[in-house]
This record gives sequence, structure tokens and C-alpha cells, in this order.
Amino acid sequence: MPPHVCQICNTARAQILRPKNHARICAPCFIAIFEREVAETITANHLFQPGERVAIGASGGKDSTVLASVLKTLNERHAWGLDLVLLSIDEGITGYRDHSLEAVKRNSAEYELPLKIVSYEELYGWSMDQVVAQIGKKGNCTYCGVFRRQALDRGAAMLGVGHVVTGHNADDVAETVLMNLLRGDLPRLSRATSIVTSTPSASRPKPAADGLPGAVSFTDVKRSKPLMYAYEKEIVMYAHHKKLDYFSTECMYSPEAFRGSARTLIKNLERIRPESILDVVRSGVDMAKLVPDADGNCKGACRNKKTSGNDVGEVVEEEAEGGCGGTDGQEAGGEMAEMEQKLFQDAQAEENGAETEITMPAKAVDGQRHDGHDVSSTAAAPTANEINGQNHDRHTRPLPPGPALDGGTIPIRTKQEKKSSRKPTKDAPPPRQKLGQCDRCGYLSSQAVCKACMLLEGLNKARPRTGIEVGGG
Amino acid sequence: MPGRRAPAAPVDHSLCRRCQLSEPAITVRTEPLCAACFSRYVSTKVVKRMESFRVRHLEPGDERVLLLPLSFGPCSTALLHVLSHQLKGQAEKTSRTGYKLHVLHVECGNAATDSLLSKVRERYPEHVFSSCSLSDVLAVDGVPELFQQDPSSGQLEQEQGGSSPQGSLDSMFASLNSPTARDDLKQILIQKLVVAFAKQNNCEAVLWGDSATRLAERTLAETAKGRGASLPWVVADGDMLYGVPFYYPMRDLLRKEITAFASYVEPALEDIIVSEAVKPAVSTKNTTIDDLMKQYFESVEQEYPSIVANVVKTTSKLQATSLQGVETQCELCNVPLDGQAPERSRLCYGCIRTLPHLSS
Repeated sequence: MPPHVCQICNTARAQILRPKNHARICAPCFIAIFEREVAETITANHLFQPGERVAIGASGGKDSTVLASVLKTLNERHAWGLDLVLLSIDEGITGYRDHSLEAVKRNSAEYELPLKIVSYEELYGWSMDQVVAQIGKKGNCTYCGVFRRQALDRGAAMLGVGHVVTGHNADDVAETVLMNLLRGDLPRLSRATSIVTSTPSASRPKPAADGLPGAVSFTDVKRSKPLMYAYEKEIVMYAHHKKLDYFSTECMYSPEAFRGSARTLIKNLERIRPESILDVVRSGVDMAKLVPDADGNCKGACRNKKTSGNDVGEVVEEEAEGGCGGTDGQEAGGEMAEMEQKLFQDAQAEENGAETEITMPAKAVDGQRHDGHDVSSTAAAPTANEINGQNHDRHTRPLPPGPALDGGTIPIRTKQEKKSSRKPTKDAPPPRQKLGQCDRCGYLSSQAVCKACMLLEGLNKARPRTGIEVGGG
Repeated sequence: MPGRRAPAAPVDHSLCRRCQLSEPAITVRTEPLCAACFSRYVSTKVVKRMESFRVRHLEPGDERVLLLPLSFGPCSTALLHVLSHQLKGQAEKTSRTGYKLHVLHVECGNAATDSLLSKVRERYPEHVFSSCSLSDVLAVDGVPELFQQDPSSGQLEQEQGGSSPQGSLDSMFASLNSPTARDDLKQILIQKLVVAFAKQNNCEAVLWGDSATRLAERTLAETAKGRGASLPWVVADGDMLYGVPFYYPMRDLLRKEITAFASYVEPALEDIIVSEAVKPAVSTKNTTIDDLMKQYFESVEQEYPSIVANVVKTTSKLQATSLQGVETQCELCNVPLDGQAPERSRLCYGCIRTLPHLSS
């Protein structure tokens, strides 16, 4: 069988069968078209301003390495004048993050991009190793997730950068779309499919946190995903053909049964019809427009902003990593069973007329901050709220501990909720979940004290006075 | 207030949870129920959904007519059974019924189903039965234009496969490039045909037999085909894109529940049901996207039934945009084209995958 000729340049031999559409092309043409498509995504969505300072969330994995390489190339080719910097997060897990950080350092040298590594130790005073030493292996994934959420933002702010780009690819987004459909989490679905997520404060001009010109408050950081329409397989191919240096750690999906399920579906879909990955992404984008109360910005759930800079089993904040000390006692499938139970209990309670949530009297269902519709019965409200996926801080029902759907809750919360729900009920509708700021650190939070500060408080209280050191000295 | 519930009588777990008289025959979402209570459970769920078609004070003969497309799958057959039962009850109590059923079977060349219609007619003689062939869809407005192989010519391709409607249909299916596309087109054509029939026969609405499981499958399948924008219309009860409202009275029941129900009905419903075994996922070569979702939800509904219901509930929360002032609609699936299609295209992105030759 005669070798195929590249369908683009019609001269070189076609070595590659493109995963996206099964086109047969040669390697140079593939590299060119990949870069061109990313450039189109960037310009079509107006992701960057000329001369902007942009931090690339770099974990040393394939997505962020390719992202850094492509952005550098495009920046020079199209003279966007972007000031690129690599930003990496060190959770402080010995033997895990070290290798990928080495890869990031090599990338930094090779692309001549400045690198900033932010460690949990630096930001919070606790590395994950220390946290695990303190609290053991149960619930530690919660800490990691919560800390990571803020770490990218804070790191960017330290650099004076208001824009972070992450290596989320089409497969990630497609998985998230399917996963959130299965979980019934519409708000998160609409956030996952937006190519730019910004906190509401980022859209409003605000005086800098400490008054210095050019300083960036970490509540003003916006994130975008230039690789959102790039297939994971193509990213791997690009890295291979350009001989990029990355450290691929295994994707851990252990407690995240929904994502594991979604991932299998995506892989099968890809085999049936490769275009379906992008179709799912497009469907997700369209659905996001149909989500009630969606206006492109996260509505009252900004605490659950996505974290990234980290390819390992990442994308969604509540992703617990096997590497950080354990799967928190949940087996695969645990999450789906949990959800099943919750839904079932809701349905039962509905039938019995018992309360699943302390709600305001029937006429105030409108005022509830969730869907704004389905006013037909108050009984519908609790389940609707559940499905919303918003942080259920107004619930008095204790949520399961561990890396639950929203990055986990800790029993401490229930006391706080009870207090807040006993607020004077002079106004008929309950107060909408407001986007306020944490009293302690100023991070965006709907509570008085943000989750990270709360966890830290707990940690610090229990911290032994003298450090426990292993070894001599 | 908690605590106001009456103290529950001690429950005997070896008996049916509801009537506490007979042995349980099936466990429905952790409640063991006997066959009779279960059948009542199924009927109640369906009847609840039919409340908008309550008896009106009209002259007999003047009642509204509802179309029930019958595929002889367990769900649509069970729906026919439950509704017949409800109508009988209504006729006995009030000597009139809230609606009349017109049952339609679309023949798609599946020999097993075609001969069952006469059996069904015998069993439920009170309804009007019709049958038509899928190739009749070519007589529906707008459909022949979709079958143009060559967009620049204004005529139907007559050479391929002969000039008979069935021939055109066959060659159309043969020209599609994947099993998914064939399956997709078939579903859409059946829908179009049913709608056309409903309009011709003055049916007020169409009652589909889709179970919750099926609705969940369709949600994910349409998402995977790029039709996310059409999801609100896919699962919603009420006005649809086609001008005739669609209702899904079985939407609160899982397919496995319906299948079990069918086995408890006497005389057995089984001889008028043709159920397709779900193919195991051995090779994905000839699997369609819909099959994939079917296999997936078959396993999910076993262990996590509430999740299936949740998917449907979530999707029904998506707000459909109003059809007022919509200029163009996809010629195949009728979804508003605004932003859903490339410039000057006749089809939406999702349908372009099925009929690529029409997007010129």
C-alpha cells in the first residue's frame, strides 16, 4: 500500500493520523496546525491583552509543558508582547512533587521564562507532609484541595500577575461536562465550560489591596484555558514530536467515581466518533448558557474556583490525589453510592413531608438563591438546592466528611450554619449567599471566614510548640 | 417540625412494605413490594403525570385525542396497558373519559414487531390503531430536501436504489458514514413522521413511552452528539419544537421497573413486547453513541437509581429559549439555529455530523 501523502502540504509522507479528525498529515504540518488552532482559540476569545503579564500554571506535566512551549512560540511569532512567567505549586510532599518540579525548572531554563515556585509552607506555614503528620491520612486530601485552590491565586498575586493560564484540555472539559451532568451540578458545569473564569471582583476596577500601584490582589486573578479545544492525545503527540521534556505522573482518580465513570465514557466515545469530544465540549458551552442565573460568572460559588497548574488527576478542585497520603478511606464507587444515598433520602423526606433543609416559609421560595424556578412546591426546594451543587452551607444536615462533592466539609461547619440560620428573620427571603471576603485573609468567600483560614486555625491550635524533627540535630 | 410524625407501626420486613399482607416480589429503591402494590405504584406514577388530561365535561366523541407511538418495547407497551386501564376506570366511574388514545406503530423493517399489531388490537379494542412505514416520512414537508445527495441539484436522486420511497430511504441510510449517524437519522425521522401523523389526525399531544432511564440516555447521547442546546426540549413535557406537545408519562420510572411490571401483568404482556438485549461492549466498531449510553445507564440503574432520576431532573432545569422570533431552525432537528450552526447552514452542528453532505 503506497504511503499516504500529507493532506496539508501534499508533499511529505504522512506519519500521523490526527486523533481529532483522522486526517493524515506529516509531523511538521501537525505541529503547525496544532499551534495555529491554539492561536485561533486565543484570538477568537480575546484571552490576552497586548503586553499583559501572564502566569502559566506549571506542574511539569504534559499539559502545562506543552502550554508553556506553545505560548512562548506564539508570543514570539505573533508579537503579542506577553510577559510570560511560570508558576508552580509545591505541596510539600516528598518524593512526589519533587520530580515534576525538577521538570519545571528544566522548562524554565529551556524556554528562558522566569519561574516562581510557591509552596504551601510559604503560604500557609504548613506543608502537606506536616499536615499529614498532624492529622493523619484521613481528611488530608481536603486540606490539599482547599489550599491548592488559593495557592495559584496567591502565587499569581505575589508576582503581580492578574491572569493565570492552565493546561486544561478538551478531554478534561468533556469529562467535567459529563461528570456534572451525572451529578446534577449545573453551576459547576457552566463554570467548567467557560474558557475564562474570573471572579466578579476582577471585572470591577478595584483599588489594589495595599494601595501600591500595579499590585494585584489575589481576589482579582482570572484564569483561562487556551488548550480547551485541544485533544489530550494531540497534546501528547505535540510533546513527542517537539521532544518536550515533561514528567508524567499517573492520573489518580481513586475516590472520584463520577470522574472515573465519565472518563471511561469519554474514552469510549472517542473510539466511536473522535469528534464527539469536541461535541461534548460544545454541548457543555451551550448548556451553560441555558443554566438559570448563569451570567458567565460563578454565582456565589467562587470559593470553589478551579485549581490547576497540576496535571495529576486535576481539573476540578475537589479532586483528591492519591499521592497526597491516601484515598481518604473511600473506595472507587464510594462517591456515587454516597450521592445515591443522599438523593434517596431527599426523595424520602419529600414524601414524608419532613424537612431536609430549614427553609423560609413557602412564599419565600422565590427568594432562595438557587434556581429561581420550580416554585411549584417547597418540597422541591431542598432537592433542587442539593442538585445545584452550591456549597450547602445553609444546610443543617451534616455533609459527609472527606473529599465530598465540594472539596469536603468539616463537622465544625454545622455549628456555624445553625448560628447563621437563626439570624433574625425579619426579611421574608433568606439572605442571598453573598460574595464577601474572608475576615482574616481577604480571600473571596461567602462565609465570614474562608475555608482555608478555618482549616489553618484548626491545624495551628493543635500544633506542638516545638517542631518534631526526625534525625539528628 | 420533627417529631410530629405519627409513631410508625412495627414494620414486618419480610412482607410487602405497603400492604403488609403478601410476600414481596420486587424491591423498589429499597422498599420491598408485592406484585399488586408494585403494579399500583407504577400505575400511580403514570396517572399522576396524566393529570392535565383529566375528564372534561364534553360530549362523548368530542374528547381530545392523544397519540401513543408504540414501538413494542417494554416501555411503550406498558404505557398502553396502564393508560387503557385508567381509561376503563374513568369510563366506569363517570361514563366518559378524559381523552382517547390513537396508537401508532411505525414499521421500520423490523419483522418481529410488524406482526404484533394485530395482537395488540385484539387485546385493547377500545383504541384506534394505525400503522405506517418509515418510508412514509418522505411525504412529510421538508424531508425530501434532506435526502438530496447533491445539494446543487434540485431533484431527488432517483438513480440510486430505485425510485420507490423505501428505496430512497435505504440508499439514504446506506450513504451515511457511521452506525451512529444511521441510528440518529432514524430516530429523527420517526419523530418527524409521528408529528406529521399527529397533526393530520388532530391529536392534541404525543405520549411517548420513554422511561427515566431512556431520558437519561438521550440526555447524554445528545450531549455527545453536540446538541447540548436542544437538551431542554429533549426531556421536557409540553410544547416542543415541532408544534405538537410531547409528554413522557413514564418519566418517573426506571426501565428495569417497567420491565418487571410488564412481567407481573396478567395476561402476560410479554407476548406483545419485543425487547432488545443490550449488546455487551465487546468492540466499539459498530456501537452507536446511543448504545454506549444505554449500556452505561443499564449498569447505573442497577446500583444507583436515584442518579438516573437526578440526571433527568437536572436537565429539565435547563431553561429553553423561547421560540418567539426565531428566524431559522435546523431542518433536521428543529432546534433554533442562532449560534448553533455555521454561517448559512441548514443544519445545526449536531445534525451536520449526521448529514455532512448537507452542510455546504
